[in-house]
Amino acid sequence: MRSRAEVDATLRTAKLNPAELLPVVHCLSFGPQAGAGECCLLQLEPGLCAELEAGRSLVIRGEKDEQAVLCSKDKTYDLKIADTSNMLLFIPGCKTPEQLNADQASCNVIHSQIAGFSNNYWELRRCRPKLKKLRKLLMEDPYEGPDSRKDQTLTFSKYTTEDLLSLIQASEEEILHQLQVIDACKIEGFWRILEFDYEMKLLNHVTQLIDSESWSLSKVPLCTCLEELGSLEPREMIEHTLLSYGRKYIDDAGEVYFEMYEDKICRAIAQMLLQNAVKFNLSEFHEVWQQSVPEGMTTRLDQLKGLALVDKASRPETIFLLKVEDLPEDNQERFNSLFSIREKWTEEDITPYIQDLCAEKQTVGALLTKYARSSMQNGVKVYNSRRPIS
Amino acid sequence: MVQIVISSGGAGGLAQWVLVELQGEVEPRQSGELAGSLLGDLHYTREGVPVLIVGHHILYGKVVQLEKPFAVLVKRGAGEPSPAGPHACYTVTALIKTKLLFKTRPKPIITNVPKKV
Repeated sequence: MRSRAEVDATLRTAKLNPAELLPVVHCLSFGPQAGAGECCLLQLEPGLCAELEAGRSLVIRGEKDEQAVLCSKDKTYDLKIADTSNMLLFIPGCKTPEQLNADQASCNVIHSQIAGFSNNYWELRRCRPKLKKLRKLLMEDPYEGPDSRKDQTLTFSKYTTEDLLSLIQASEEEILHQLQVIDACKIEGFWRILEFDYEMKLLNHVTQLIDSESWSLSKVPLCTCLEELGSLEPREMIEHTLLSYGRKYIDDAGEVYFEMYEDKICRAIAQMLLQNAVKFNLSEFHEVWQQSVPEGMTTRLDQLKGLALVDKASRPETIFLLKVEDLPEDNQERFNSLFSIREKWTEEDITPYIQDLCAEKQTVGALLTKYARSSMQNGVKVYNSRRPIS
Repeated sequence: MVQIVISSGGAGGLAQWVLVELQGEVEPRQSGELAGSLLGDLHYTREGVPVLIVGHHILYGKVVQLEKPFAVLVKRGAGEPSPAGPHACYTVTALIKTKLLFKTRPKPIITNVPKKV
């Protein structure tokens, strides 16, 4: 181990003036495990440092053929290895000038061992959680109601929260949030999506009851719904329907009510009408749709963003089902898919189909600039593909 | 799907290490192993400028507070290949919030200047 005398001799040879230096010196040497390559460096995005200091863990997730992601409890990051031409040495117990000035220790030779070194580190970039797989998994076995024979036989296509965590490249909070967004419910410990016809059957029970009781759409009582409909369907399913299609609140008397979501109900009924036809004559559709929704609700085309598309070029105008959740998750694939459905899009039409691709601070405009080319058509700005679509 | 956990010793207080960033590569003088051998002396001037004497060179650097700190991960666990078996996991040994960056050209130390005869 180097002594103070040796250090001073080196300073003299180097012609450095000890008076200009702090009295403390670190003699750096490579520790016994330094070359073993057991340590690696992970560059932390804002917030992750605090997570680790609080004792929370991070998880890297991915199938062999997937790009790895790193998840905290509520965020997902792409994980890549960044190379540097410089050498990075990591040294425990090495003090900075501030620390040395603050700590007037008497010993002025500190022998520091370099724990390891590297010329690369793991780099993170916040990304959208890969949630398309969630819907795909739950659609393997949608819940068709208690009378369905299916549930008694198939048991392997059902997923608990733990199962989902081990299959989906997303953080737990992002997964739980998405489960809520897609109106999944927990039945016997497993997350299930309702089969659409069954969901409509339940919704229909609720809307018919609202109609026959002449309730206000913003004051639907939970208790009465359960009493009246409990003989037709499981109470959990009635309540789930109310939670999916309404906002729960408690009045001053402590009673639970729901304020029904007009837009969401109209949208669901539109889906029911549209999914049985390739396309619908637009004016006929408007008529049938308005007649099909509950009394007091008004249908509007903008309720169908991301669900259906109007073809204004056809005579007569038509409307057809196009669900954003059926489209690819990858940006380039999504645009390819959209441009193969329609060659030129206005920003208004395409926005609902690319909105979910936007990264944290990205706008739809930025996406369009990157993946599409614009031109004018009849005085209107339209977007088409940058590359030929087969 | 593979799940690799990075756990933090954390709540008890993680060690704070320092990163030293050097240009180029470091090679052992006697072409032996690096492990155990000396790198050099690290001084600071009274203004807080780090000065590193490595072999025949003096390097002047600067103290940089990292905008994005690093976590030092140590691999644990066997990482057996079987799909049902335990996967590798990592432990966070320390955090690095400061680095000493040496990127100016090293000044050579001339030890023997022959006198002009």
